[in-house]
Amino acid sequence: MDAPAKSDWNNPRLARNLFLWPALIVVLILAIFPLIASLVLALSKVSLVKGGFKIDFVGLTNFRTLFLGSERTHVLGQAGTPTLFGWLVFLGGTALLLVAFVRTVRSRKIRPLGLIGRAVGGLLLVLLLWSVATTVLGSGGRPGTLMVTIVYAFSGTLLTYLLGLGLAVLTTQRLRGQRFFRIVFLVPLMITPVGVAYMFRMLTDTEKGPITPLWRAAGLSDFTLLGDPWGARLAVIISDVWQWTPFMFIVLLAALEGRDLETEEAATVDGASKARIFLNITMPALIPVSATVILIRLIEAFKIIDLPNVLTNGGPGTATESLTLQSFISWRGFDLGSSAAIAYTLLVVVTMVGIGYATFIIRRTHSMV
Amino acid sequence: MAIGRRRWLGVLPALALVVGATGVAAQSPSTGEYDGVTVNVVTFSGPPIAEPLERYAVEFEAATGATINITKYPFSDLYSKALADVATGTNSFQLMTLAAPWVADFASAGYAADLTDKIANDPDIAWDDIMPFFRDIVAQYAGKVVGVPIDGDFTMTYYRTDILGADGVAPPKTWDEYLQIAEKYDGKDLNGDGVPDYGSCISKARSGVGTWLFNGVLSSFVQTMGTGQGTFFGDDMTPLINNEAMGAALDFWKTSMEFGPPDENNLDQQGGRDMFTSGRCALAIDWGDTGVLAIDPATSKVIDKVGAVQMPGSTNVLDRATGKLVPCDATICPNAIDGVNHAPFAAFGGWSAVVNAAADEKTQAAAYDFAAYVSNPTRSNIDVTHGVTGMNPYRLSQFGDNMANWVAAGFSEAAASSYLGAMKDSLDNPNMAVDLRILQSNNYTNVAEDQAISQFLAGELTKEEAMQQLFDKWQELTDSIGREVQAAAYAASLGVQR
Amino acid sequence: MKNPLRKRTALDLSPPAKVAGYASLIVWAIIVLFPIYWLVITSLKLPIQVAAGPFYIPGIDFTPTFDNWHYILVDRFSDTVRPFANTIIVALCSSTLALILGSSGAYALVRFHYRPRIGVIAIWVVVILGTFVAVALGAPWPLAVVAAIAVLLILLQTVGKRFKRTLANSDVSFWLISQRMMPPVAVVIPIYVLFQTIGMLDTLPALIVTYTAANLAIVVWLMRDYFLSIPLDLEESASVDGASSFRTFRSIILPISRPGLVATWILVLVFSWNEYLLALFLSSANAQTMPVMVAAQNSTRGPEWWYMSVLILLMIIPVIILAVVLERFIASGALRGAVKG
Repeated sequence: MDAPAKSDWNNPRLARNLFLWPALIVVLILAIFPLIASLVLALSKVSLVKGGFKIDFVGLTNFRTLFLGSERTHVLGQAGTPTLFGWLVFLGGTALLLVAFVRTVRSRKIRPLGLIGRAVGGLLLVLLLWSVATTVLGSGGRPGTLMVTIVYAFSGTLLTYLLGLGLAVLTTQRLRGQRFFRIVFLVPLMITPVGVAYMFRMLTDTEKGPITPLWRAAGLSDFTLLGDPWGARLAVIISDVWQWTPFMFIVLLAALEGRDLETEEAATVDGASKARIFLNITMPALIPVSATVILIRLIEAFKIIDLPNVLTNGGPGTATESLTLQSFISWRGFDLGSSAAIAYTLLVVVTMVGIGYATFIIRRTHSMV
Repeated sequence: MAIGRRRWLGVLPALALVVGATGVAAQSPSTGEYDGVTVNVVTFSGPPIAEPLERYAVEFEAATGATINITKYPFSDLYSKALADVATGTNSFQLMTLAAPWVADFASAGYAADLTDKIANDPDIAWDDIMPFFRDIVAQYAGKVVGVPIDGDFTMTYYRTDILGADGVAPPKTWDEYLQIAEKYDGKDLNGDGVPDYGSCISKARSGVGTWLFNGVLSSFVQTMGTGQGTFFGDDMTPLINNEAMGAALDFWKTSMEFGPPDENNLDQQGGRDMFTSGRCALAIDWGDTGVLAIDPATSKVIDKVGAVQMPGSTNVLDRATGKLVPCDATICPNAIDGVNHAPFAAFGGWSAVVNAAADEKTQAAAYDFAAYVSNPTRSNIDVTHGVTGMNPYRLSQFGDNMANWVAAGFSEAAASSYLGAMKDSLDNPNMAVDLRILQSNNYTNVAEDQAISQFLAGELTKEEAMQQLFDKWQELTDSIGREVQAAAYAASLGVQR
Repeated sequence: MKNPLRKRTALDLSPPAKVAGYASLIVWAIIVLFPIYWLVITSLKLPIQVAAGPFYIPGIDFTPTFDNWHYILVDRFSDTVRPFANTIIVALCSSTLALILGSSGAYALVRFHYRPRIGVIAIWVVVILGTFVAVALGAPWPLAVVAAIAVLLILLQTVGKRFKRTLANSDVSFWLISQRMMPPVAVVIPIYVLFQTIGMLDTLPALIVTYTAANLAIVVWLMRDYFLSIPLDLEESASVDGASSFRTFRSIILPISRPGLVATWILVLVFSWNEYLLALFLSSANAQTMPVMVAAQNSTRGPEWWYMSVLILLMIIPVIILAVVLERFIASGALRGAVKG
C-alpha cells in the first residue's frame, strides 16, 4: 500500500478521527452489548431448560423485590431512631444544602434544566443524610448493602488520596533513598486483589496471625476484630486503603514529576515558605489530575467485592456486604436476574455520583475540556 | 466433604503402587478402545477429588488410548462455571464432578446423561456394593441414574474419648446433652498447653459449610417418618422453617456459640478442623474428614483420642400440623432410638461424576468408563482410607471388610471401629435425611438460609424475624421457579415415585 | 557529599522537616512491607506451623522449608508455567494496546473539538446491536460484520447527516469513564456469550481485547490530564514548522509526557495482570491466568495459605522488576527541561 501523501496526514479532519475513533470503537463494541444484555437480564428471570436457558421478561419484579420486597432491609438497612449526633448530622447537612440551593437560585445564572437537576440531586442527598442518620447513626438501626458500599467508597477514596498525596510529595523531595521508597510504595498495587484479601485474612486473624500476642496482651482474646460489625468494616477499609494508596501515589507522583519547577524555584528564591509554595503553586497544578484520580478511584471503590468476600464472606450477618458482593452471591447461585438488578442499582448510584462529580468538580477543574 | 493436604502427598507414590498393582491389571478395559477420544473433565482445585482423578487419568489413558484433560476451578466458582458452560451450549466438558445438591439443576434441564443402561451393563462397577442411600437416592434423579458416586458425605459428631472417658461422660445422644457437655468443658485446658480451650467447635462462617451442619441439627427435629418424608417442605411445598422446630435448631446454634471460639461465626471448615485436631475442642460436628485427619501425626494432637457418634437427636419433634414441638412417641417417631429421634443428615451428599448429555456417544462411553474406573472398589476402597483423596466411604465393602486398608492407613482398630461404627449407624438409619436437591437448591440453602442464620447469629434479626424472612424467601423462590416443578423435583430427590 | 555553596532549591527540606519526612516514609514502608514479609515467611512454613501460628522469624522460632516452593515450581511446574506465560502475554499486550489507543484518544480529546451527532451515535448502537442479534440468530459472524459495516456506512451517509444535535468532548470522556461503572459480575455472562458465539472462549486474544476495552477509559482520563498540562505554544511552534499532527504527537507530546505514560502503563498493566473474574470465565484449560490460580488455592477445606503465598510472591516479582526498571522514567524532570531548552 502506498503511504498516504503528506497532505493527507495534515488533513485535520482525518487526523482527528484517526486519533479518537480506534479507542471509541473498541469500547463501543465491548461495552454496549453487555450493558444492554444485563439490562435485559435485570428485567427477566433466567431458567434452565433442555439444551440451554430461557429468559422470561418479568418487568420490574427483580427491582421490586430489592426495594419493597424480601430484600428491602438487606439493601436499604434497618432504620432506627437517630441519636443526638445523628440528628445533628442530618439537620446540619440539610441546612447546608438548603443554603447552597437558595444561593444557586438567587444567582440566576442557572438554566431551568440545571435547576431541576440540582433540586432532584439535593432531595436525594437529604434522603441519603436521613438514611445515614437512621441506619449508621441510629440506635437499633443498621446499614444495608447500599449504605455500606457508600461508606466504603467515600472513606476509602478520601483516605487513599490523602495518603497518596502525602507520600508523592515526600518522595519528590530531595531525599536519599527516594527510589527505594517509590518502588516499595508501589508494591501493594501489584498483588492481585483476591490475594490481598487472603493476605489480610491471615493478618487480621487473632488466633494465629501476627497480632495475636499483642491482642492477648490487651486482654482481647475473647473478642475478634472480624466478629464485630464495625470492626469488620474497619478491617475492610484498612485493607482497601493499603492496596489502593499506591494508585493515587503513582498518578500524583507522575504529575508532580512532570510539573514545571520554575515558578517554585522563583518563589523559593523570593523566600516563600514551603507550605505556602505547596498550597499556592503546587496544589493548583495538581487539581485537575486529582479530580480525575478521585473520580476513577471512586468508581472502582463502589465495585468493592474481594475484600469483604474473603475477609468475612460479607458477615458478621450482612455487616460488610457490599452491593457487588450481594450481586455476586446471587450470581453464584445462577440467579442472573436478581444479580443484574443489583448491578444496575449500583450503576444508577455510581452514575448519579459521577454526574454530580462531573457537574460540580470536573467542570471546574477541567475548564479547558 | 473433601480434605487433604500437602503432607498427604508423601503417601501418594505408595498409594499409586498398591492401586496400580491390584487394580489396573485386573480390571482395565481393552487397550486402544478409545483411541482418539478426548474427555475433558472439570472439577475443583484439589488435592481432594482432583488428586485421584489426575492419578487415574494417566492409567486410564495408558489402558484405553483416550485422552483425559482435567481442568480445575475454585470450589466456590465450580457450580456457576459448569452451569454456564452447559446452559450456553458451550459444552467444553464431557465429565463433570458435581456436588449432590447441584445435580437437580443439571438433571432436570437434561444436561446430565442418563446412565441407567450403562450401569446395568457394567458388572465392574459393582453397583450393588454402593450403599443403598447413595445408590438409590443420591445417584438418581427422577428414577434415572445421573451420576456415578465417587464420594460419600454426611455429618457426624466427634468427641474426645480421653476427656469424656476420664469423667465417665457418655457421648451426646441429644442436642441438650451436647450443650451440657460443651458447657462442662468450655474454658478448660483440653490439650495441656495452659490456654483455656472450648467446649464445641462448629464452622459457622457465612458462605461456608455452616448451613449444611445446621440442617443436620434441624433434620432431627423435623424428620421422623423415614427418608421419604423429607426435612425441608411439607404439603404443597410449604417450607417447614417457620415453626418451633426451626426455633429450637436456631436456639441450639446460637447457644453452642457460647461454648465455642470467639470467631466461631467466621470459622471456616478447615479452621474448625484445625481447632479440633489440635486438641482445642471437646466436641465438634463435621463430615467424615475429621476422623481421617485426627490420625495424622503431622498435625494431630488427638491421635486415638477421638470417638464418633451419629448426629445427636431430639426427644421433641415437630408436629407438622400445628408447627409445635411434641414429645416423641411410637406414632410420631417410629424410628426413634431410646425415645430419641435421630435423622443423620447426608449433608452435601458427596461428589458424583456426571456425564454431559451433549457429548457424542463414544465420548459419553469413555467419560462414563473413566468415572466407573475411579469408583471401582479395588481403587476406591483404598482411596477412602486416605485423607488426600477427599473421598469418604460410600460402598458396603469400604466398612468392616476393609479393616486391613484402614489400619494400613494409620488407624488403630478401635478408632476405625468407632469411626466406621458412627458412619454405619447413620447410613443404616431408615430416617437418614437427604440434602435439598431441587432446582436452585443452592439459592434456598447456601444463599437464603445461610444469610438468615448468619443475620440471626450476628443479632441483626431476632429468631422470629429470621424464620419469617427465610420462609418468605423460600416461598418467593418456589413461586418464581414454579411450585409444581419444585414439588416434582423434591419428590424425585427423596426417592419417592409418584 | 555536601556542597555548602549549592543553591537551596524548591525540593530541599530543612533538617527538622527532613527527619519528619524520613520518619513518615519509613513508617509507611514498614506498613507496606510487613504484610509482604508475612507472605514470605508463610511460604516457608509447613501447614502445621501456620495452624499453630504465629511464628515470626525463620530459623529462630520455626524451621523454614522450601517444600511449598518446590511443590509449585517443580512438582507442578507445567501447571504453573502456562498460566504465568499467559498472564505475561495478556497483560503486556492489553496494556500496550490500551496505552496506544487511549493516549491518542486522550490527545484528540484535549486538542480537537468533536461534535459527534447524537443520531450518528444512535446508528452505531443500533448497528452493533443488530449484528449481535443476527449472530445470535445463527448468521456466521464474519458475514454479519461485513454486512454491518456496509449498513453502517450507508446509514451514516444518508440518515446520519440529518441529525444536528451534537455532544461535546466532555460528554465523550464521561461516556468512556461510565463504562467502568458496571461491576464485572453483571457483564461477565454477556461477554462470555459474546466470545462463545464467535468461538473465542479460552483464547488469549479474547482476554486481551476485553482488558484493552476495560482499561481504555482509565488511560484516556489519566493521559488527558498529563496532556492538558503541556503548554500549547510548543505544538504551535511545531505546526508552524510544518509538522503533521501525528509527528507533533509522536516526537513532541509523547516524550514530554513520558512520566504520565509510564505511570499509566504500569497501572493498566497491573490491572490486567491481576484481573480475576473475567479471566475465570473467559478461560478454561488453555488461557488460564495467575489470579485464577491464586484463588484456586482456596479449596473446599479452606485456603492453603502456604501455596497461595508462593503464587502471590511469584506474581509480584516480575512487576517489581518492571517497576524498578521504569521508575527512572517517571522521574524525568530533567528530560522536560531538555526538550524545552
